[in-house]
Amino acid sequence: MKILELFLGILTAMGGFVEIGELTFMMNAGGIFDYRLLWVVLLGTIGIIVYGEIAGRVAAVRAQPVFDIVRERAGIRLGLLTLVASVLVCLLTCAAEIGAIALLWQLASGWPYRGLILLALAFFLLVVWFVPFKGIERIFGLLGLLMVVFVGLAWSMHPDWGDVAKGFVPSVPRAGEGKTLLYAYYTIALISSVMLPYETYFYASGAIEDKWTPRDLGTNRAIVIVGFLLGGVLAASLLVVGKLYLGPKHIEAGLPGTAALAAASRFGAIGLWTALAGMFFAFAGAAIETALCCAYNTAQFFGWPWGKFRAPRTAPRFVACWVIVFVLAAVVVLTGVDPVQVVEYSIVFSVVILPLTYFPLMAISRDRDVMGVHANGVVANTLGWFYFVVISIAAVAAIPLLLLTHGGQG
Amino acid sequence: MSPRLPAPGCVDVYRQVLDHTLVDADDLPCGCVDDIELEGAPGEPLRIAALLVGPGAWGPRLPALFARLVRWMGGRQVVRVPWSEVAELGEQIRLRSNALRLGLGLTDRKLGLRIAKLPGSEAVSR
Repeated sequence: MKILELFLGILTAMGGFVEIGELTFMMNAGGIFDYRLLWVVLLGTIGIIVYGEIAGRVAAVRAQPVFDIVRERAGIRLGLLTLVASVLVCLLTCAAEIGAIALLWQLASGWPYRGLILLALAFFLLVVWFVPFKGIERIFGLLGLLMVVFVGLAWSMHPDWGDVAKGFVPSVPRAGEGKTLLYAYYTIALISSVMLPYETYFYASGAIEDKWTPRDLGTNRAIVIVGFLLGGVLAASLLVVGKLYLGPKHIEAGLPGTAALAAASRFGAIGLWTALAGMFFAFAGAAIETALCCAYNTAQFFGWPWGKFRAPRTAPRFVACWVIVFVLAAVVVLTGVDPVQVVEYSIVFSVVILPLTYFPLMAISRDRDVMGVHANGVVANTLGWFYFVVISIAAVAAIPLLLLTHGGQG
Repeated sequence: MSPRLPAPGCVDVYRQVLDHTLVDADDLPCGCVDDIELEGAPGEPLRIAALLVGPGAWGPRLPALFARLVRWMGGRQVVRVPWSEVAELGEQIRLRSNALRLGLGLTDRKLGLRIAKLPGSEAVSR
């Protein structure tokens, strides 16, 4: 039983790893810079493993989710700033996922885009209201695994493995190419898309929904390390597909449909439908996670009852929060903005709030008074602070780079 | 330097009380310690009289402009929880009574009654 739990946990973490922002940025990064940004995928993946492990450990030992800690350690002023920023970023991400799902459905059915957005909204409200937490986690995580079709695709396109390996060594494009700024922008966007903050919020809140105790610390470690590493492999395959499929044709993966076409070009109709279904479940999982995160964060910050483990009647403000977020997210994409544009902004702004979220988390997880024997060891401390420096630099550079590169247009 | 826990018999108000979640006797979260009311005059020992909860308590802790915004949007409601109600300090602060008796969680209760009419609102999902 325990083994099965672990296995499912790992697969869920892998299946929930990719969303629309990551998909677009990975494919474009491959298309523009060949394999040169693969090291960033590795860097980001280890980063999310480090913070995911810490957040899961604190949740298991202290039963405290992330925003409880933010409030306690950062106080009301900085804490409220972090809360507002994180809710805005999650809302934008949720909007992008809903828009992307409507695009996918449009590709499959030919129905009007705006109608499909409303249909997606209704779908999400019903699913989150009626389906229990475990069910949501498992359905969308496991079916999101259909995205492995892209790993198969990358494999079947016979990349030059020597070149792929070289991509894991950091390198900067030569000065003459004039793409240095764009390269820097993509570096930050890829780190951010892999380390999206909602992943840790959701993971820690989920650990409390599942009533983890210090006995689950081994499970926590295995799930984040193996699950996120496999997720990283999936992300890296998207980059490889981007290089091999988009690179030669100079196409920018502006739409999720491009990814589906890449699968169709190799595996035919089966590839197309697997890719579409995989993307649907992966994006839907992300939409649900981001909407729930807004509700988790707000409720935890103000000390309201929260959680899917409570009946909606006993946690009504929590429920009201996620309902409002879904509706607002749908309104954002109903205005007609391009979901891929929305996700670009959400990803760049996400990196700005990463340090605000992770500082309180580091402060509490290394504190022996509150964590006892489960406080950070040398490895978690060293890696934690190393990544804190990395995300702080990225946070400072993100918005100037967004402006300098005209939103990644070069 | 790592911060230390206070000597036995003392409470570190800033680290152990302020901004911690309150949990009532039925294990239900019912707000945060948004502010603290102290009593005592200069030269006398200071004591915690009560924990204050609500937008009227945390709003004024923000910069002036935001404080006004909170007052306008969330009102100035403050609930006073007497210090004698505190049963236990820890990750969360445990109270001796039920939230409703203390006047906490009223919004949730009102909203909850409204939600109760919807199908599935009572279902505890695991």
